[in-house]
Amino acid sequence: MAGKLYTWLDDRLKLKPLEHTLLDEPIPGGASWIYVFGSATLFLFCLQATTGMFLALYYVPSVDSAYDTVQFIQHEVQFGWFVRGLHHWGASAVMVAIGLHLLQVYLYGAYKRPRELMWMVGVVLLLLMMGFGFTGYLLPWDQNAYWATQVGTNMVASVPWIGDVLVRVLRGGDTLGALTLSRFFALHTLFLPAMIVCGIVLHLFILRRVGPAGPWSIEQARQRREAFYPRQVFMDAMVMLGVFLLVATLAVTVEFPLADRADPSDHTFTPVPEWYFLFFYQLLKYMSGPLEPLATWVLPGLFILGLLLWPFIDRNPERRPASRPMALASGIAFLTVVLSLLGISLWNLHMTPKVDPSVARGKVLFSKQHCMACHRIHGEGGKVGPDLSYVADQRPDRQWHLRHYRDPRSVSPGSIMPAFALQEKDLNDLASYMLSLKSEPSTDTGNR
Amino acid sequence: MASPSSPSDPDKVSQAESPSQDTRRSFFSWMIGIATSVIGLGLAIPLAGYVISPSMKRREALWAEVGPTGDLRTGEPEELEFASTVKDGWRTDTAKKAIWAVQQQAGDLVVFSPICPHLGCGFRWNAEDHKFHCPCHGSVYDVTGKVLAGPAPRSLDVLPSKVEQGKLLVIYKEFKTGLDHPVEL
Repeated sequence: MAGKLYTWLDDRLKLKPLEHTLLDEPIPGGASWIYVFGSATLFLFCLQATTGMFLALYYVPSVDSAYDTVQFIQHEVQFGWFVRGLHHWGASAVMVAIGLHLLQVYLYGAYKRPRELMWMVGVVLLLLMMGFGFTGYLLPWDQNAYWATQVGTNMVASVPWIGDVLVRVLRGGDTLGALTLSRFFALHTLFLPAMIVCGIVLHLFILRRVGPAGPWSIEQARQRREAFYPRQVFMDAMVMLGVFLLVATLAVTVEFPLADRADPSDHTFTPVPEWYFLFFYQLLKYMSGPLEPLATWVLPGLFILGLLLWPFIDRNPERRPASRPMALASGIAFLTVVLSLLGISLWNLHMTPKVDPSVARGKVLFSKQHCMACHRIHGEGGKVGPDLSYVADQRPDRQWHLRHYRDPRSVSPGSIMPAFALQEKDLNDLASYMLSLKSEPSTDTGNR
Repeated sequence: MASPSSPSDPDKVSQAESPSQDTRRSFFSWMIGIATSVIGLGLAIPLAGYVISPSMKRREALWAEVGPTGDLRTGEPEELEFASTVKDGWRTDTAKKAIWAVQQQAGDLVVFSPICPHLGCGFRWNAEDHKFHCPCHGSVYDVTGKVLAGPAPRSLDVLPSKVEQGKLLVIYKEFKTGLDHPVEL
């Protein structure tokens, strides 16, 4: 059936030569599992594009609605949590895939003549991908999104002379707000995709013009030549399947709840960027005062320039790693610095007090029992009952809270609060949540 | 992916095809097919549910508080206005709605939708002849909602209601007009 259809189409569209071009490209040295990272990156990009389009079905990029629509996707749309999870973990996975792809190309010296342009387009693709990460982070409009973007855009302001103007252009004004959200949305869903598709096409076009680099030793490359199909396609497909299953498993098993709605007046919030920006976040901690511009734009600028022009900086024509000690040493030095910074940052984050799971459950109960109808926490909820934003400051005693839920008037005469006949465990969780609400920002309730 | 033709320059790229190579090729195409199908289905099923689910969901109507029932006199319908909350996707809208509440002789409190089941006009209560009159096409109903005259095909539509702590609660609904039995919109 499929074969007949193919013959019918081939009669008219002359597909055979196209198929030959696509599938029978010779790979010097034969197919290998080491060449899969580019395809894995492309696959993950397609996954991001697909899940992104579907998220846009319900997402509304306005300050008033963005947070509610993401909550709606997460909690009310069937599989909404899964689609959002795929997009979230896919973003991390694409960074890992790009990192591995870059490492492989670097190690194999595949950026050398005649592939300098392919490398340069690849560097631009990496920057575009980071642009996706940065602009996408703001879109849920929760506390993390707002404050991380606040910090991120402030860094741009340290660029000499034009910094202030740049930051205003980026934000669409002097503060982060409605115009920032709409332009980040437009960048994330229209401008960047258009640019990156052109970049990917160019990257693949160059690949097909100059051909894959193959192994680093010429003898090995000459020993064997094998077409792209079937073995390399098979390896790529297996890796894509593995990557998909991994991302889907993460989406199903690892929760990443939204933080509270963005609140520009709440300065107690400490934002954490996505892990792939963490090394940079850590670097900023070491560069204070007059050194700060060094970290915010001098080093990143030089690094990007260096990476872009690397094929012209490293002029050694040799591709074997053993014959390229300088290139290898600088690669290892760079990796060590980035991985140590990432490690230190992750360690620090790990050491800061985590949200007690009981607090998290209590927070869920608080919303399930509709406590919000009467009580206000950080500007959200009714005004019938007392504001609970910092309730633990006044009521630090767990027993008081427990007695209060069972019979409000026993500890608070004249209270109009109804009694809550919940399980012991639930009451305890609710009390834990209440006790976490204090003015000292020692724990960050609810955010990751 | 369509099954590929053999490479055109076999000397260079691969050896001439032997039966064992044929089975290898078909093994690879099978595996590629399986991988793409798993990915495709793994995406298509959740994404289909994601697109369809809100379209199939009925608008959730919630109990809305209308007000105290103390002022209602037996057998004298009263038009009561209240704010009804309706979920519209990710929004929760409040809209002003009106209903007719009647304390019936039998003791029950009955709540009528304010829309005439004939063609959807708003009807009125005439205190003199003790009947509901629709001004559009002249349907007439008695205090229990039964049709007395005119083109109306069915009695007035009754809304779910209850009284809690002296307050009337209703679920506001709308029904298709022109049918002989109520069908919720």
